[in-house]
Amino acid sequence: MIEALRKKAEELLKNKTVSVVFGYGEGSTPERTRPVFITKPEEVNKLTWNKYCVYNLTTYLKRQETRKLGKPAIVVKGCDARTLIVLMKESQIKREDVYILGVSCDGVGDPLAEKCKACDVHTPRIYDDLIGEKGENKELPFDERYAELDEYENLSEKEKWEFWQKQFEKCIKCYACSNICPLCFCDRCIVEKNQPQWIDPSAHARGNLSWNVTRAYHLAGRCINCEECQRVCPVDIPLNLLNKKLAKEAEKNFNYRPGYNIDDELAMSTYNEKDNQDFVR
Amino acid sequence: MSNETTFEPRIVAFLCNWCTYAGADLAGTGRKQYQANVRIIKLPCTGGIDPLFLIKAFERGADGILVSGCHPGDCHYNSGNYHARRRWNVFKPLLEFCGINPDRIQFSWISAAEGGKWVETINSVIDAVRVLGPFEGYQKINAIGPEGPGEGFAPSSDTTGCECK
Amino acid sequence: MEKSLNKKDFDNFITSLRGKGYKTFAPKKNNNLVVLDEVQGADEISLDHVITNNSIKEFFFPKTENVLSYRMEKNQVQIEEPEGFAVKAVIFGSRPCDAFSLPVMDKVFNWDCSDKFWVQRREAITIVTIACDKCDSYCFCTSVGLAPDAKQGSDVLLTKISSDNYVVETVTEKGESLIKEFESVFSGPSSDSSDRQVATVEKKFEIEKVKPWLDENFVHAVWTDFSLKCIGCGACTFVCPTCHCFDIVDECTMTKGDRVKNWDGCQFKMFTMHTSGHNPRSTQGERWRQRIMHKFKYYVEKFDSILCVGCGRCSRVCPADMNISEMLEIIETEASQSENKE
Repeated sequence: MIEALRKKAEELLKNKTVSVVFGYGEGSTPERTRPVFITKPEEVNKLTWNKYCVYNLTTYLKRQETRKLGKPAIVVKGCDARTLIVLMKESQIKREDVYILGVSCDGVGDPLAEKCKACDVHTPRIYDDLIGEKGENKELPFDERYAELDEYENLSEKEKWEFWQKQFEKCIKCYACSNICPLCFCDRCIVEKNQPQWIDPSAHARGNLSWNVTRAYHLAGRCINCEECQRVCPVDIPLNLLNKKLAKEAEKNFNYRPGYNIDDELAMSTYNEKDNQDFVR
Repeated sequence: MSNETTFEPRIVAFLCNWCTYAGADLAGTGRKQYQANVRIIKLPCTGGIDPLFLIKAFERGADGILVSGCHPGDCHYNSGNYHARRRWNVFKPLLEFCGINPDRIQFSWISAAEGGKWVETINSVIDAVRVLGPFEGYQKINAIGPEGPGEGFAPSSDTTGCECK
Repeated sequence: MEKSLNKKDFDNFITSLRGKGYKTFAPKKNNNLVVLDEVQGADEISLDHVITNNSIKEFFFPKTENVLSYRMEKNQVQIEEPEGFAVKAVIFGSRPCDAFSLPVMDKVFNWDCSDKFWVQRREAITIVTIACDKCDSYCFCTSVGLAPDAKQGSDVLLTKISSDNYVVETVTEKGESLIKEFESVFSGPSSDSSDRQVATVEKKFEIEKVKPWLDENFVHAVWTDFSLKCIGCGACTFVCPTCHCFDIVDECTMTKGDRVKNWDGCQFKMFTMHTSGHNPRSTQGERWRQRIMHKFKYYVEKFDSILCVGCGRCSRVCPADMNISEMLEIIETEASQSENKE
């Protein structure tokens, strides 16, 4: 698979179909990979593919430094490809401005990442070229995909509050969660605005609660569950639980899975007159 | 003077200008009585209510929140309340997931003609929060400034407010 | 003064300290992480980790703290300054690299004005370090002039000599008086104290070559190339024991408020943003250069110390696997190449 990937990348760069390939390269340790940006055909041997390729490289589509490199070919797993669909639907990228090198994937991380345990997009649902065998993506049932949440949803109100206070207490406001997120693409984040200051910038309990709740909420109906926020958190806050909860509610109420079907309307920019309102008096 | 040990909930109500605010106004002109625990914030439309407003209300000491606007189909801006409803559908469960009691954050549709429904709704929100008691979880984390009496919801008239706010 | 301490007496030490009113902090397991945190007894202490996730700096320079609170009343402003922030405490089991960060940062916190929060806490807290008996591939203390059993910055240094026994060396007067205060916990000098179990940390680069190269290469392609993968978060600066930038904000209501000091980091795009909209460090390459330059050039020029202790935390937590020792190796190679050209 690595050979096929390198060959394709070399071809794309030689033909000048793209100016850069965003891919995975060897990292600091054998258990780690890192993003690499290949601009010359002779450098394609830096590309690799293995179970440590956890990153969602689509985040580099939002960064000005990597955008400057020109039209990219981007190596995406099935989950990452869903981000591309959301980005297209949200008018952040045009289909023709990115060459999608899909890879079929049986799960990444060691131990296996949580996101892979209920994966039903082993083969990307959008690509220009597929590296690896094309598998059949059988959609998993709703309950199975959100099973991780059960344990937390079943806590009592007090336990929930205490659990999250304990988690948020650790937050140091490094903003790795929002910087790594390919869908947190605002030029200026709400937390960086101070007239008025909606979110206290301090890393105290009040500021941490409003920051973490707001970060998650701004991804409601958009997050494709790549778990990058959780992976990068230096203090190990299970941030993806919040995102997953929101995804669950969005799917339950609006029958919408972000980045799953390219023809679906974005959940939070549309509405249905028959939307759930059981909770409204 | 009321007994100091009795808990009086502080409720913030975010109301749309066209329907619920007018409904509350109607309750007033109709001399309908309701509990005085609510502070109303009038906004053009429920569609313009950012959930951050609700978080900020808790940060500033609210024990409960009511968000209310026009019935579906009646929005002055055609679809503001439909968009708002989508947001509430995900925001409310998110707060519950973080351990905030669902009764502390409630939603309603009240039209300009429904003064009675306003009285009934706000009274029941206040009663529900009264049963829950003060929002101790948030009160632990929302102290700002030196200890001592805060201005709460009613700054004393002889203080000089910060002009920038 | 040399003594020894058996592992089974750790608990006695911690309890005695607490009995005398010291707060006790030590490495402690917290889910997947080992963090320096308050402990009640030795059973909570982790001894088999390489390094704690958080650095020692947060005990002297916390992620957020009030520098004053105020209230406005009748055209007057009342100001209350915080008190009681410096609590008598012992940090037990920190690493030598962390301990060394303290004298390095003393220089900046006592520079043109003395930061009372830092200074008073430095006086109140005693550091009992345990020398590293293991390391990982991110450690590079030996490359920045330190060692896994370096003493600078510690008040007392413990070094493992057998699986249960540690040799105890006092480094400062403060350390000596602590050992005296709790003399009964410690045993006399150990007979096998020559067989010290200290990790071997590979030397990765020649630090002498770094600064001369930095002096000449403010403009260089490597800054942009290396930082292409940087996502511009603050994880590296916040876990760093020597990064000390902070931001002051007012958090207020109509009539009262707090002035708060928060960690800030040079990798954020907003860090240097001017009100005019101009940003002197507008690309990540410039921000990355700033991090390296500050640590290995500016601080050296100003305070005659490298602002890096080789703990490797930044590389461990980096979301995009930016590795600082790798960057310095690149600089060393570049420096050697330009030497050869001449």
